[in-house]
Amino acid sequence: MRKKSKVITRRDFLRGTVYTAFATSMGLGLPNEKEVRAEEKVKVVLIRDENVIGQQGRIDPDILQNMLDQGVSSLVEEENPLQAWKKLIKPTDIVGIKSNAWNPLPTPKELEAAIEKRVLEVGVPKKNISIDDRGVLDNKVFLSSTALINARPLRTHHWAGIGGCIKNYIMFTSTPWLYHSDACSPLASIWNKPVVKGKTRLNILSLIRTQFYGRGAHFFDRRYVSDYKGLLIGKDPVALDAIGARLLQLQRVAHFGEDRPLDTTPNHIFVADEKYKLGVSDLRRIEVVKLGWMEGALI
Amino acid sequence: MGTMSASSADKDGKKMEMKRLLPLKVGSYQSDGKDESYDRNTTFRYMDGAAELYRSYAFKLLMVRRYLKAGQPPIIVEVFDMGSSEDAFGVFSYEAQDEEGGVGQGSDYGGGLLRVWKGKYFFNVYAEQEAPSIKQDLLEMGKAIAKSIKIEGHKPKLMNDLPKEGLIERSIRYFHLSHHLNHHYFLSHENILRLGAQTNAVLASYSSPTEGKIFLLLIQYSTQKLAKEALQSFVKAYMPDSSSGVIKTENGRWAVSRVHQKYLIVSFDAPLQERGEALIQATIKNLEERK
Repeated sequence: MRKKSKVITRRDFLRGTVYTAFATSMGLGLPNEKEVRAEEKVKVVLIRDENVIGQQGRIDPDILQNMLDQGVSSLVEEENPLQAWKKLIKPTDIVGIKSNAWNPLPTPKELEAAIEKRVLEVGVPKKNISIDDRGVLDNKVFLSSTALINARPLRTHHWAGIGGCIKNYIMFTSTPWLYHSDACSPLASIWNKPVVKGKTRLNILSLIRTQFYGRGAHFFDRRYVSDYKGLLIGKDPVALDAIGARLLQLQRVAHFGEDRPLDTTPNHIFVADEKYKLGVSDLRRIEVVKLGWMEGALI
Repeated sequence: MGTMSASSADKDGKKMEMKRLLPLKVGSYQSDGKDESYDRNTTFRYMDGAAELYRSYAFKLLMVRRYLKAGQPPIIVEVFDMGSSEDAFGVFSYEAQDEEGGVGQGSDYGGGLLRVWKGKYFFNVYAEQEAPSIKQDLLEMGKAIAKSIKIEGHKPKLMNDLPKEGLIERSIRYFHLSHHLNHHYFLSHENILRLGAQTNAVLASYSSPTEGKIFLLLIQYSTQKLAKEALQSFVKAYMPDSSSGVIKTENGRWAVSRVHQKYLIVSFDAPLQERGEALIQATIKNLEERK
């Protein structure tokens, strides 16, 4: 018999009895520490460099490459960056680098180039690598891919709460609107589609610039974009998104002096964990390894 | 196809109507002549998931026009036919937060974006890039468009039933769906108040130095039966430990809920039960007087 799910209300948050990433967007803060489940923690790496954005607002490709290398090395615990990448990608792989082309805040070209460079150095031929977003379902490399690298910026999203790693695979369906119900809660089901299932070797949330609050027709307002100058790297897309949602909340608090709830609760992160078992959303089960410049890191 | 369907003709008629609202020239800005229009089904192509905000109201048609001027960034105008002035106000109220721009029947300006409602229309005016003098240009553009909208509209009648004392006017939100309520006051991840396209709701804040912020929610259902069922659903989920529709919540404040005819009224975060009850009774009095 199917277990009836509990209705979560504001009062659960006031009591402190709900403590997943679900809490991060409510404007209610995180509850007191309670016992963490016994499972192992999931590792994600936060790396920042205060010089990655230059005075003209341009991203320094060399610094970004170095950040990516350090982050991946730390994640897979391999000192040499190339050896670290070889733990993720084989020369025989066909590699799709899933980017994000949203015009106001796309995946930085410098990040795409840095990823591609290392994949090439691993030994994957150029013809077996592609960077794409909206054309992935018509892209031969993506359709025949054996490995995916998921890289996109972190931002708030009107209907999904946040745009993060989980949501970035929406382009792997030709009917994205079918995933808009209940604040996009079924998004993680896309990760079970044959075109992507089990292929993702690495997830990267670009925090070089983050959009922590949205407004207007396109839900973009320059006032709410922060030069955070970081990357969040991990294998678990749910964990990255949970940390990302928390960061955006802390950025709102820092900016406004109080939390402002997101338009939509990013409960697709919670659902990705609880229903689709895609990863871990409980913040207390996520270990954040911090590297580099940490002034104003908030998390 | 040899003949145009009624809905297609209607849509073309609305397009022409909206084109007429948008001046070809405002000051030194000239239309680039490449208008775009989107309906409820195609608007995702223009604004991705943000389209859901407009679709959750009775949004009919979006017209986008770009204005050019030498030496200045282009200005984008997005005009939404919201189907009714109530819903035009509703989508405006969704994120009204910045300074009043003095345009149309209500506006706010901030971050290089001017948001306006007038009649059944809501519109955004913004520049593609920031520029020092752009605010004045955006306001002039907004005023020119507002002037060409001849028919004014009215705000949702439900707003008149809110008690006036202590009311923060700018906090009033008008909406239909639980998703919107949660944006302004998270209640539950489930639709425990049974909100939907057929329900009209206003949420407002009341504030005083001694009481802090109190929220008042007024919902109009189609029938009294639906209002009563919604109250039962709400009480069951939100205050299962109370049978009276009143509870002191974990933050030490009070939630009070009542049904009056086809209306459900709930006060949240009142410092005293009596204060929450008084807000509800004042609302009921207004509803009675309006009859």
